[in-house]
Amino acid sequence: MSPPNSKEKVVKTSCGMCYGTCTIRARTCDDIVVGIEGEPDSPQGYGNVCAKGISSIMQLYDPNRLDYPLLRTNPEKGLDVDPEFKRISWAEALDIMEEKLRDCLNRDRRGLYCCSTPTFPSERAYNIICFQRAFGTPNYYVAGGGLHCGNGPHMVAGMYHASWSVIPDYKYCNLAIYWGCSKGHGAGHAALVAMKQAADARERGMRLIVFDPFQSAQASAAEEWVPIKVGTDAAVALSMTNLLLNEYKIFDSQYLKTKTNAPYLVGTDGLYARDEKTDLPLVWDPIEKIAIPFNDKNLKDAALFGDHEAHGDKCKTSLEILRNHIKKYTPEYASKISDVPANTIRRVAKEFGEEARIGSTIMIDGHELPYRPAASIYFRGAGGHYNQAWQCVSLILLNHIIGCGDMPGGALAFGPPVHLGYPGTGRLGFNVEPDRDGLLVAKSWPYAHLPYPPKDPHDPPERLDLQDMFYVPTYTTIMMWENNEELWTKFKIPYRPDVMLNFASNQIMSIGNPHEVLDHFLKKFRFIISFNIFASEFEEAVADLVLPDTSFLERYTVSTTFPTVGVSCHSTGLGDWIWAIRQPAVEPKPERRAMVDVILEMSERLGLRERYYEALNEWINRAYGGYLKPENKWNTKEPLKFEKIMDTILRDKFGDDKGLEFFKQYGYLKWPKRVEEVYWRAFSDVRVPVYLEWIIKAGRKSRAIAEKYGVPDLVDWSFHSALPDYHPCPSYTTQTSENSEHDLLAFYWRSALHTYSMTMENPWLNEISENDPYTYTIQLNPDTAKRKGVKSGDVVWLENTKGHKTQGRVYLTEGIKPDHVGIAACAGHWAKGQPIAKGKGVFFNELIEVDKEHTCPLSLGQDICVAVKLYKSEGS
Amino acid sequence: MVRYGLVIDLKRCTGCFGCVIACKAEHQTPPKVFWAKVLRSESGKYPVVNRQPLPVLCMHCKEPACKDVCPTGATKQREDGIVVVDNKLCVGCRYCVVACPYGARYFVEKWKDYFTGKDQPSSKYAEYAKKKWLAENDRGVVTKCNFCSERLEKDLKPACVEACPAEARTFGDLDDPESEASRLIKKRRGFRLKEELGTDPCVYYLPSR
Repeated sequence: MSPPNSKEKVVKTSCGMCYGTCTIRARTCDDIVVGIEGEPDSPQGYGNVCAKGISSIMQLYDPNRLDYPLLRTNPEKGLDVDPEFKRISWAEALDIMEEKLRDCLNRDRRGLYCCSTPTFPSERAYNIICFQRAFGTPNYYVAGGGLHCGNGPHMVAGMYHASWSVIPDYKYCNLAIYWGCSKGHGAGHAALVAMKQAADARERGMRLIVFDPFQSAQASAAEEWVPIKVGTDAAVALSMTNLLLNEYKIFDSQYLKTKTNAPYLVGTDGLYARDEKTDLPLVWDPIEKIAIPFNDKNLKDAALFGDHEAHGDKCKTSLEILRNHIKKYTPEYASKISDVPANTIRRVAKEFGEEARIGSTIMIDGHELPYRPAASIYFRGAGGHYNQAWQCVSLILLNHIIGCGDMPGGALAFGPPVHLGYPGTGRLGFNVEPDRDGLLVAKSWPYAHLPYPPKDPHDPPERLDLQDMFYVPTYTTIMMWENNEELWTKFKIPYRPDVMLNFASNQIMSIGNPHEVLDHFLKKFRFIISFNIFASEFEEAVADLVLPDTSFLERYTVSTTFPTVGVSCHSTGLGDWIWAIRQPAVEPKPERRAMVDVILEMSERLGLRERYYEALNEWINRAYGGYLKPENKWNTKEPLKFEKIMDTILRDKFGDDKGLEFFKQYGYLKWPKRVEEVYWRAFSDVRVPVYLEWIIKAGRKSRAIAEKYGVPDLVDWSFHSALPDYHPCPSYTTQTSENSEHDLLAFYWRSALHTYSMTMENPWLNEISENDPYTYTIQLNPDTAKRKGVKSGDVVWLENTKGHKTQGRVYLTEGIKPDHVGIAACAGHWAKGQPIAKGKGVFFNELIEVDKEHTCPLSLGQDICVAVKLYKSEGS
Repeated sequence: MVRYGLVIDLKRCTGCFGCVIACKAEHQTPPKVFWAKVLRSESGKYPVVNRQPLPVLCMHCKEPACKDVCPTGATKQREDGIVVVDNKLCVGCRYCVVACPYGARYFVEKWKDYFTGKDQPSSKYAEYAKKKWLAENDRGVVTKCNFCSERLEKDLKPACVEACPAEARTFGDLDDPESEASRLIKKRRGFRLKEELGTDPCVYYLPSR
């Protein structure tokens, strides 16, 4: 409560302490933000607010924030180098920025590398993605979050759900299985919204079984915690699928026939048998006993199993191939890999299959829909491994065997990919669609490339990370590999890293071993420009020009909740849609400037106005369901101004009475979700693959390019197959080899108290992290500790096989699998610019090698589980 | 008469610390002072382990041990059951800190800035925080949760209840058998911490399983 006689104001805006973007009320008193509260009527948070959100006040008023532009005067770059920053004016800063960018434009515009944080997807769209496209460079990535989780988990969810991820239908789900994910426990996707939904579900009686090497917050709230060897989830999931298909015979035939490619016939060459006339995939009609296109109107039934002949070739159905392929995944075999007892795998598979209640239906708002109250849910924990793409496919396939994909009670697309339009205008509509082969294509997918169908690869690749010669990766780390120069030369890439434009990402800490990231990549840039609110390790190590950004409480952004893909916030299940903006609660200090304003000014200075407007059109089309109406088209004679851009987009989507002024007043607009949007799969004629035939073909194209340029072993091409498999991480071999000193498997987990590496500087969050036994420590099982001769509180080193090491204090817990080491979040800062964060917690990413050996050959995502040796620190 | 109490549902709580920070922001408690806390417990042996977050605060006992030991009468109990400290009467003897079985009380010698650890505010917000803290608590006194009595006067719920992302907290009148709080205690067999001490606490917990 505020003191009497003070001038109070309430500003409705969107939180920016994680990508959950809850609608909040920033309460100001005499122009100081003094309170952050939830907006009671908003579906984005339901009026609640978390520790991070409330603590944003302390971020806003942190005296260590950047208050003016800084120019590096020490030409040397490095982790322990004093940048010798010098204060300069904005006029000087903009002149320098323009000069460097113009030089890059003149040399080769592709030399600009744009980098960003995953925390602010909306800001990223306008100040990085649109600028990147206007500038004309293909090089862009999202540090940390994108590389650690973006490839396998997101793209697989995209292939199967046209969505960024999956979340249980908390309202109806009775049994959720979590594989290394924190959904509903205060971190990650739809953090706060899912937290209430998950609590409601637990109270209602939803059972939760969590497979995880660590008894995380979600595992401790679950009915059952099943400790599993880190990264072996695929073996268990494939064993469950084997049991469901081959032993228990529990599967949803109707769903498999109509919503998957299970009946598609596959020839002896591993590819679909296709109709000679239409080139469409064939299925076997057991009534007419003919092979016939899958969508032929004369099709009477489609065989799910068996051998059938087409064009004289001995074909099998896709499901038959899958069913035979996974027979090797017996519970006993999976148990040997994962350390999960075989009888547990059997029991969980049976419970999962039975709980799906195949054949049952439910009436929702006049629609009779399949009722499948069981869901298999994964995320980063399952994703951050060498086998991440096939691991995620294995986990998500469970849903499609029991037919619960986007059905009531099942695994729902997170941020549904279908929106039939804002009722007031009919605008903002998008829907999934099938491609010619009948498979699911996302309509609204503005980030990276569509998960399916595969894009044609660039020959030769144009991007420095070679992403454009592949078809699954969102981003890759190839531009940071030690042999990057050799690869760029072989692939005839004519330019090199030139200028980097960074928005709030800490690439020194968020990717992998900082020495390697620095030496192999960041030091190659002529000039690095970075916008941030603090001078983090990144700015101190490599930035040449540091520009003081505004906090999320000091700036605008046009939509924090759309697009539904890539913005990790909308609730799942029925309820309300919401479009919310971000707006300043207070004016920033005079020399702090919102990055987007600077970028728009720079676009003007560089003569990129028209190209920026073009990029903006494309963004609006891909993110917000269609181009602007003709009457709202940009007047390219008008300079780029963000408030004008926002107002135009808002009026275009919601009507002339709901422009920026409306949103400034109300903060958000909500409208009810429709059954056809939430449970869209029941209403859509789209299929997902149980046999990923297209990967064979796409992989061949990528491989041909690699071979053409003399890099035949760029990745292990055997991963580019059509069927999921378990593949071990390299760390397992190290861990289990005879007399290995590196006998522990280290992994990190997501703390609900922190967002990536940015929140340790917050003194409130830091203080509770210091009081919490887990957040800043190394978690170790007491039996392992005894074997290692360490006790709780000891300071130890963790060292990988390359000699890279990190230090931390041990906390003993029975809630971790023996021979594993758990570490929370991305802590262990050392920057002078973040004194509260400095020296707190453990810097896990020091242990991550950024190389081919630790890269998933299919998704090119990072393998971030590490074999380590643990030993006491001298004098601890 | 109203008897205020709080019910914390351990089945809904995930130990996210939302309550802790909501309290801190509402009352501007200085560093190391937590009127609301989350404790962690762990029992069992791998692989059968039970970890449980336990949010705690002043239990606003009907028979408060802290009140009995207060030599100046600074610790009082309102008619609605809320136990408060009158900072004008408190001499900072800290008997109550020792007497409280729940570790709910904090002696604060002087206000400190979160960033510098010093008495000087480091920002406009810190100036506001200091002013507010000193106006409501002063220096050299014992402080504790007051169930956000200043918010109750405005018909608002306590800050920790309002913020809780899992909606695990229900505030209400324990003397009213029809209140949501009373109903939950009855239906879910609510229990209290250290009941055996006879302080008759007014914070109830609903079991997690």
